[in-house]
Amino acid sequence: MTEPLSNFWTAVVNGEKKQLHIAQTTRLVDVLRSHLNLTGTKVSCEVGRCGACMVLMNGEPVNSCLVMAYQCAGSEITTIEGLLGEKEGELHPIQQAFVEEGGFQCGYCTPGMVISTKALLDRNPQPSQEQIETGLCGNLCRCTGYGGILRAVNKVIDERDRVGSTP
Amino acid sequence: MLLNRNSSGKRWHLRPDGVGKVTGQLQYLTDMTLPDMIHGRVLRSSYPYARILSIDITGAEAMEGVFAVLTSKDVPGLNLFGIATPDQPVFCEDVVRYIGDAIAAVAADSPERAALALDAIRIEYEEWTPLDSPEAAMAPGAPELHEHGPGNVLHRTEIKRGNVEEGFAACEHIVSETYYTPRQMHAYMETEGGLFVPDENGRLHVYAATQHGYKDRMQLARIIGCSEEDIRVISSPIGGSFGGKDELNVQPYGALLALRCGRPVKMHNSRKESVRAGLKRHPMKIEMQTGISREGMIQAHRVRITADTGAYATLGAPVLNFCTEHCLGPYSIPNVDVEGVSVYTNNGVSGEFRGFGGNQAIFAIEGQMDRLAEIMNMDPWEFRRRNMREKSDPGPLNQRILVTDGLSQVWEAMDRSELWQKHLHPPADPALPPWIKRGVGAAIAMHGAGLGYGIPDPAGGRLSLNAEGKIEVAFSYEEFGQGLIATLEMMLCDLFHCSTSDLSIIIGDTDRVPHSGSSTASRSTTMAWMALQRLQAPFRSKILSVASTLSGIPADELITGIEGVWRKDQLSPEVTANEPTMNSKVLVSYVDLAKHGEAEEWIFDTQFEYPTTPDNVVGGHYLYTYAAVAAEVEVNTLTGEAKLLDTRHVVAAGPVINPMGFIGQIEGGSVMALGFTLTEDAVMQDSRYTTTNLDTYLIPTIRDIHTNLEVEAIEDLPEGDPFGPRGIGEIGSVALAPAITAAIHQATGVWVNRLPVPRDQLIKPLSVSLQEGVSSS
Ligand code: FES
Ligand code: FES
Repeated sequence: MTEPLSNFWTAVVNGEKKQLHIAQTTRLVDVLRSHLNLTGTKVSCEVGRCGACMVLMNGEPVNSCLVMAYQCAGSEITTIEGLLGEKEGELHPIQQAFVEEGGFQCGYCTPGMVISTKALLDRNPQPSQEQIETGLCGNLCRCTGYGGILRAVNKVIDERDRVGSTP
Repeated sequence: MLLNRNSSGKRWHLRPDGVGKVTGQLQYLTDMTLPDMIHGRVLRSSYPYARILSIDITGAEAMEGVFAVLTSKDVPGLNLFGIATPDQPVFCEDVVRYIGDAIAAVAADSPERAALALDAIRIEYEEWTPLDSPEAAMAPGAPELHEHGPGNVLHRTEIKRGNVEEGFAACEHIVSETYYTPRQMHAYMETEGGLFVPDENGRLHVYAATQHGYKDRMQLARIIGCSEEDIRVISSPIGGSFGGKDELNVQPYGALLALRCGRPVKMHNSRKESVRAGLKRHPMKIEMQTGISREGMIQAHRVRITADTGAYATLGAPVLNFCTEHCLGPYSIPNVDVEGVSVYTNNGVSGEFRGFGGNQAIFAIEGQMDRLAEIMNMDPWEFRRRNMREKSDPGPLNQRILVTDGLSQVWEAMDRSELWQKHLHPPADPALPPWIKRGVGAAIAMHGAGLGYGIPDPAGGRLSLNAEGKIEVAFSYEEFGQGLIATLEMMLCDLFHCSTSDLSIIIGDTDRVPHSGSSTASRSTTMAWMALQRLQAPFRSKILSVASTLSGIPADELITGIEGVWRKDQLSPEVTANEPTMNSKVLVSYVDLAKHGEAEEWIFDTQFEYPTTPDNVVGGHYLYTYAAVAAEVEVNTLTGEAKLLDTRHVVAAGPVINPMGFIGQIEGGSVMALGFTLTEDAVMQDSRYTTTNLDTYLIPTIRDIHTNLEVEAIEDLPEGDPFGPRGIGEIGSVALAPAITAAIHQATGVWVNRLPVPRDQLIKPLSVSLQEGVSSS
């Protein structure tokens, strides 16, 4: 058989410039998981339904199972590994809230869920309940029943309110 | 107690696996890689039922980058698996019985190349007409899928007492209904897979999810034809299971390929393959006739259960046993005639799934209760109370069960609840358009925990002080999301007043844990608790006596605490894991203690069986968890859509060890049950799945859930109860369906008997909806 055509792919992943020799039809999820060993991004349905593979591409949430290497070449990609707290070693407030409110069980949907929450709150820091539901309805969770997830998202919003309102 | 973060206070315990999960740092077994690993794939049948005429693997073998192509000829040991009844071929040799049957497996240097190699395998079949339903499989003259006896019957069950004919004859009213339940998919987010690594000593290391590592090891040894010690199974963490990963799935293929190639082999099922090959919940047809006296007392109950168990047995028989036991509900019924049959078909394999056959049974029996109450013109809750078993009554199978007040407690708590009280005044909101209807329904359940009488259900555990000076526990349970590790931490901190940093918790590794049974049947928490009850006293007295020797202070003045042993008078009794007392310091640290004596002296083991009824009733349970669920539902009679607005779960399961975990289990179970009720069905046509992925198989999203979900925990247990907290892994998922369908009935007048609720049954012509809107306003 012939080797699939491959050439250089570059992108900025979690702030670092990455250059890979891969087929341009490689899916972003495989670039991340197999080539860059960033296994925080999960793979579950591979048809864009479950959101386990959610990453940020130039700040926008995308299902990395639906994005081909050629479509994201030159982009800025943020995966769950690139989500950082304010200080070194600290969790991002969204992650912290998920831990405190029990917003996960098996945890397999969690990275995608956290990324979607980030995308949602980046765009709309004060979402209504309905906007939260719309923002997260592309992410499936089979374990939690979403209760803990909702409490976590609301906690982030409340905390921001609280901190924001103090002078 | 209404369970939430506020009411839990200091017991709101953050999970130790939290940081790894929210940061994506935690490696699941399907995330693991090794530098020289290759990729395995399985070739599955093209037909649900066919004879294999020939298999030609030469093309695949000759391909560059292909390391091995295996078929049934390459299985050194038993070419079969199955947790209870090994009747599923690792590789089919002559006949395929379902669309997930494996015929060959390949290992290649990339997943793509492995897929190409599968395409190059040539198989000739003689296609047969599949037996696509239990009816077809039991029809006279149907071919036999297994050498199992006539009619493709895997298993039959029966409960008979009294005389139903006479019972029915004396009845004032009889309700007859047939209930149908769907082929629900576990839909765990992490599909099956893992890494299979042979080492230089010829041992095989299996990193793959299962709910029972030791059982996997036993089965794999049987398939490979090696000793169990030649295999190590590492089986946690798991990205969800719900019963779906209790059977072997990719393990036989990964193991055989790795051994053949002498290299690590990675397997990871695609979702489509997972749907095709994986277990599902048994679709069941349950016919019920229930008769009552003029006073509304149940006199007679006839039940016929038909379960589609699919191509192989797996736990079809125990699931049917459980369903049979639970189709009497928590009611006392003098005349009973129940027969169940579990039937082999060419459909997907049905097996273990959260609720274990209880969900189907409870949907049916509770549906009967609501229908009967309506005929009696009686409040459905009052109707249930009249017919409820007394607490000292025997269990459904006439077996002795542990006496508790759980049933009446959940009944009363629900009776008092605001949500259920709403049913007296059906919530009509004048602001709603007339085609939107609301109703409230409720259901009650008793749900057995453990595997039941007559089925080996070993438990045990190990408690030790390890060389690093940590209090170490080891169990063969698994963490598949339920929060077991957090619960263990809390139990240990409670017992020894220590902090989480004094602990080492080991699960999911057959090399490091004793054989203490499976994480199934809502049993892990109870089992761990019982094991620790047995182990704590000898362990503590060993620690205190050595500490006494080292410190010169009498042992009865000492106590275990944070970092080590303290003087009792310097450690206030309410000291908790998070609040060390000030002004005092540890007398002898665990680290120093561990240096004292031989390592073995610090190890304490226990082995016992899960408690079962003393009566000789196979499958009969002894411990039950009780629950009541109420649901408020809104139905759009133009679209047929039903939406759950509000629910309340009352659960009597003994002390709540881990509130966060408890709430999570009930919420998660409830939403899974919501899917079972409203949207989920892995539809098969001619024994092939037509719903092959999560875009057509619809599990609830965050938009579909009931954000008002309250969990009330009743923690009472009888004085001196030796069994501790009861399992709650399943109870949240078993009684929601009948509560929803009762609410739908109140809203629309339609009795639903089929799940997922068929929308077309709830659609009314606009003219009718409008008229009803007018007349009700
Ligand atoms: S794996 Fe990409 S959306 Fe499911
Ligand atoms: S935590 Fe398991 S899928 Fe969400």
